[in-house]
Amino acid sequence: MPKLTINGQAVDVPAGTNLIEAARKIGVEVPHYCYHPALSIAGQCRLCMVDVEKTPRPTIACNTLAADGMAVWTETDRVKETRKSIMEFHLINHPLDCPVCDQAGECGLQIYYMKHGLYDPRMRDEKVHKPKAVPLGAHVILDAERCILCSRCVRFCDEVTGTGELGIFSRGDESEIGLFPGKELANKYSGNVVDICPVGALTDRDFRFAVRVWYLDSATSICPGCARGCNIEVHVNRRRPHHNDGRRVARLKPRFNADVNRWWICDDGRYGFAFVDDTSRLVIPRWSRDGALGDATWEEAIAAVAGALQRFAPDEIGVVASPKMANEDLWALRRILESRGIRRVAFRVPPRTPGDEDTLLIRRDKNPNSLGAELLGLEGDGAAILAAARARQVKCLWVFGHDLLASAWPVTETDAALRALELLIFTGPSANATSERAHFTLPAAAWVEREGTYTNFEGRVQRFRQAVQPLGQALPEWDILGRVLRALGVEAGATRAERWFRELASGVPAFTGLTYQSIGDGGAALSAPPGGGAAGSHLVSGHPPMGPGSRSPLP
Amino acid sequence: MTAPTVAFSEAQLAEVRRLQGLYPDGRAALLPALHLAQETFGHISLEVEEYVARLFDLTPAHVHEVVTFYTLFFREPKGRHVVAVCHNLSCHLAGAPEIVAHVRRRLGVDVGETTDDGRVTLQSVECLCACEHAPMMQVDDRYELDLTPEKVDRILEGLR
Repeated sequence: MPKLTINGQAVDVPAGTNLIEAARKIGVEVPHYCYHPALSIAGQCRLCMVDVEKTPRPTIACNTLAADGMAVWTETDRVKETRKSIMEFHLINHPLDCPVCDQAGECGLQIYYMKHGLYDPRMRDEKVHKPKAVPLGAHVILDAERCILCSRCVRFCDEVTGTGELGIFSRGDESEIGLFPGKELANKYSGNVVDICPVGALTDRDFRFAVRVWYLDSATSICPGCARGCNIEVHVNRRRPHHNDGRRVARLKPRFNADVNRWWICDDGRYGFAFVDDTSRLVIPRWSRDGALGDATWEEAIAAVAGALQRFAPDEIGVVASPKMANEDLWALRRILESRGIRRVAFRVPPRTPGDEDTLLIRRDKNPNSLGAELLGLEGDGAAILAAARARQVKCLWVFGHDLLASAWPVTETDAALRALELLIFTGPSANATSERAHFTLPAAAWVEREGTYTNFEGRVQRFRQAVQPLGQALPEWDILGRVLRALGVEAGATRAERWFRELASGVPAFTGLTYQSIGDGGAALSAPPGGGAAGSHLVSGHPPMGPGSRSPLP
Repeated sequence: MTAPTVAFSEAQLAEVRRLQGLYPDGRAALLPALHLAQETFGHISLEVEEYVARLFDLTPAHVHEVVTFYTLFFREPKGRHVVAVCHNLSCHLAGAPEIVAHVRRRLGVDVGETTDDGRVTLQSVECLCACEHAPMMQVDDRYELDLTPEKVDRILEGLR
């Protein structure tokens, strides 16, 4: 453990720590562009110069390892002068187009110029011009004039995705990043190069010009796109609703979690939020009967559902819960099932096309909470429930979120099952072919419109927070289910997600001891992690086993 | 990927493997391999870059980086002669811009282009380490020093 001083303050760091990280440890920021903790050292931007005692001139902190007895100074006059000169070099050919640049407000050049530059430019020559607005792929667009050639994006594609699409071509002041002619930036993590680009060279085609970043609000959340549960921030546009066509969710950004996703998220997750503000959202409880349909109040809808749960015998009721529901929702559902003695329950609906998977983040299971649903005891045979519906043993079916008609189950059989039902209830955020067939649709809040927790495939329970209000009259599932419980005459006091979680934590052994506080923003492991042979035994075919055997440490 | 229409002979492939074996990291042999490719195929097309990338287990982008970095790699068919005028600091101060303008006028091509008759390719390049004789240029394998427009005319006339 090298012991050194930085600006006179003593600090101990593990061997192999560079001076940027050592300084970070005591809250000292060494400005830098090319250094990124996930990538190899390039030493390209030269901005992280610091003075190290007994060395003749400033040295780059990113490529200098902390050593015992080292005395480092990050704010000497010489260092400040060096930084200022380097900023001037970086900006020689950089266009002054901040007013039309999408990076403005979160730009490394703007921030560091104000902090470390503040010089009067001395350049009299014409700036070098390079290609602008060049689409690199479906998600990323390049402005080569704004690039400072830090090579983070190049190293990301070399070292994280291993796809190596990007390079720095030509040399001198003609150098520019780009793709091999005719190729595309088409890897599944391409959006991350926008995040790590410190300037406006690489911007996001989806977010570009949608809303200025200083109008965005942010909530910490979890990506619901697969069983990994990558930590994210949801950036929402509440303050300028007339921008961006009223789309409230502006973008998703990865949030660092060393144990889950490090700095990254995949493109499917990053751009998977469009449904939140889509016209396919369900926003009002509705009924439909013999071709007629209409709106209902929540009171009417809840009374109708509770009435049905009492009218049909428990064995005549089937429930297809969803692994996209939060633990809190599933617990409230379990309370209903227990109170009515309903046993025909399942939550897995095999997708028509099996999901993709890789060794970085992407999981084949495209649901955020399959393990939670499993631990809450909702495992069952969905196909058998539909078979029972066709045999008119199940007369009332309650489906959460799924489109059963778009699953791997034969459409004709599913269709026959839905046709045979006396009552189909659908609860979910968005309309689909199954909800179109429902006699009652109860609109559920999307994940960004509510609080809750998911349990990822490794048994990490993670919280997501509310970023925007539910659309229309939509409610979180736990709220809908709590109302049904009360209509059934069952005591259900919880009126907040956190109270449902508290109840769940005392009722399900795996969750014992967990609270919203202990989960925090980083998540917490289940007290009894998933495993044992049992987990794999009642999986619906088409899903890989998700026990500890399939755990893969992040690269 | 389509089947390559450019390919080294067995002997050339053996040479590439020998070069790769000389260095701790085989990629160090990329430069000599590219020279070999240029001698063989005349110039380094994108197809050649992709072919060489496969030989080195690199992505085409990384071979493209190397090829675009060096002025001695030709990405288009080059002329029978190559005239490379230095435009770096010493030559610039000693009048390289006028020399480049003069050659352009005389040859009727821009920097980076080849005359219609395929006689001369004109380049403007970084320092060639002959600052004491600035302005200077390289013509094929020769250095031409202390240039004046008259001297340039004589040199160009000698190129057939």
